[in-house]
Amino acid sequence: MRRLLRPGTLQGRYARTAYLFLLPAILFFAAFFYLPIGNVVATGFRTGPMADQWTGLGNYTQALADPAVRHSFLVTAGFSVIVVIGSIVLGLALALAIDQPLKGRVVFRVVLLVPYLTSVAIVGLLWRNILDPELGVLNRVLLALGLPAQQWLNTAPLLTIAAVTLWQSVGYTMVLFLAGLQGIPETYHEAAKIDGADAWRRFWRITLPLLAPTTLFVSVMAVISGLQAFGQAYIITGGGPGDATDLSVFHIFNVAFRTRDFGYSSAQSVLLLIVIVAFTLVQLRAGRRSEVTY
Amino acid sequence: MRRGLLYALLGLASLITVVPLLYMLSLSLQTEAETLSADAVLVPASPQWGNYAELFRRAPFGDFIVNSLVVAGAITLAHLVFDPLVGYVFAKFRFPLRNTLFVALLATLMVPFFVRMIPLYVLMANVGWLNTYQGLITPFLMDAFGIFLMRQFIQPIPDDLISAARIDGASELRIYRSVILPQTRPALAVLGLFTFVFQWNEFLWPLVATSTPEMRTIPVGLTLFNQEYFTLWHLTAAGSVILFVPTAVLFVLTQRYFVRGIALTGLK
Repeated sequence: MRRLLRPGTLQGRYARTAYLFLLPAILFFAAFFYLPIGNVVATGFRTGPMADQWTGLGNYTQALADPAVRHSFLVTAGFSVIVVIGSIVLGLALALAIDQPLKGRVVFRVVLLVPYLTSVAIVGLLWRNILDPELGVLNRVLLALGLPAQQWLNTAPLLTIAAVTLWQSVGYTMVLFLAGLQGIPETYHEAAKIDGADAWRRFWRITLPLLAPTTLFVSVMAVISGLQAFGQAYIITGGGPGDATDLSVFHIFNVAFRTRDFGYSSAQSVLLLIVIVAFTLVQLRAGRRSEVTY
Repeated sequence: MRRGLLYALLGLASLITVVPLLYMLSLSLQTEAETLSADAVLVPASPQWGNYAELFRRAPFGDFIVNSLVVAGAITLAHLVFDPLVGYVFAKFRFPLRNTLFVALLATLMVPFFVRMIPLYVLMANVGWLNTYQGLITPFLMDAFGIFLMRQFIQPIPDDLISAARIDGASELRIYRSVILPQTRPALAVLGLFTFVFQWNEFLWPLVATSTPEMRTIPVGLTLFNQEYFTLWHLTAAGSVILFVPTAVLFVLTQRYFVRGIALTGLK
């Protein structure tokens, strides 16, 4: 036994095995993650139709001063804020409801999760058809009922595509909150009940603080997915009306593949990446500080 | 009373979820006149199953389906082969630079796809892989999420099992295949289902990396079909139903795995 565990030879052999098993992964992540990330940074410093002329920080100073870039970032930020708040409020409300011993809760859970597993193409096309101000079925139903027609895609386009996004994703946040709720020991609630705390008080003093890690995770996920939303603009609104829903990734896509300016679009990708990484790190940090245990 | 309120809330949320999807099915069976009629048609007078055939005549929808199956299938297979292998190495082996490599792997979780989109497009253009299966498949062969999931699952498997197999003279590959892999089946099911569904639905890369209708996947082919024939909503709806049904059926049959999978990612 002792001879078998002798260091050097055996450990060396395990290390070789480890690297042999890892080889495909190392090649893959180098070629399809780290090389592209290096390239996007390098291209961001270049300009011209072939993105081959060095311009230093030129693209970055241009992007920071470009009203269209700033506008699309504000649009994206607004979209993300609505999605984050909606995910937390609606996801938690549904999780609290479905956490009760109700008949048919499995059915509710399945139904509410279905849109999360459908393509943004389905969701986008379907809601564009429903909400269309002229031909949309919703307006035809509203008119048949004698109600005023809606123009939401014109009057509140950002809120509308955020709502459609929530329609798709809220089942997912509900399941995350449900897992968080089921991790809270029953004894805390029982002890609080004996002490005379009502349901409202128990929610604010026990459920919500102990759910903090889940809430944090939900908000991180919602920010990350909100900041990189694309299909909603591409499929439902085309960025419009005007540029009211010109989400950042949609803007970058157009600069890259319609204007064919790879340098400028790469620099904008890097800027958005920096925002996403910064946000993630700050949220995770803040989260670690606010975690509670009882 | 309180119970009634809960049912009302969940019932309302379920209706808001289901009614649009049912309308999509209804729309796919309407005549063109019904889709435009002033009094909204919610149930078609007589279901137009011919809409589905019409869709295949107007667009290479058969190609879309084959492309989606090939791309999502190949990527899922690659994940099932590589993610557990890499997860196993990080769970059970000690070797130089292990932590560095693991951090480098996890860091890729913070890199959204749009960051890779432009350089990958240039790379694929340079090697002539735009508008090919290789071009659609290779950027997604593995991901840190799947590897991390497998590592978490493999870690609790007792080291003694591996040592015992080594003493019995099993090769390292054999240990992985016969000792580790069979124990990871539930995690593999979660991984395979998630990977397939997300790749089946993937939109941005197939949109960027394909240039002819014959190479498009269903989500992209359908969206561009809709841009071209934007008044033919009954046909767009029929395509949506075709895109929807496989993942919906897969999900309803295996919803426990999905729910467990989502819960696993939420808990650290």
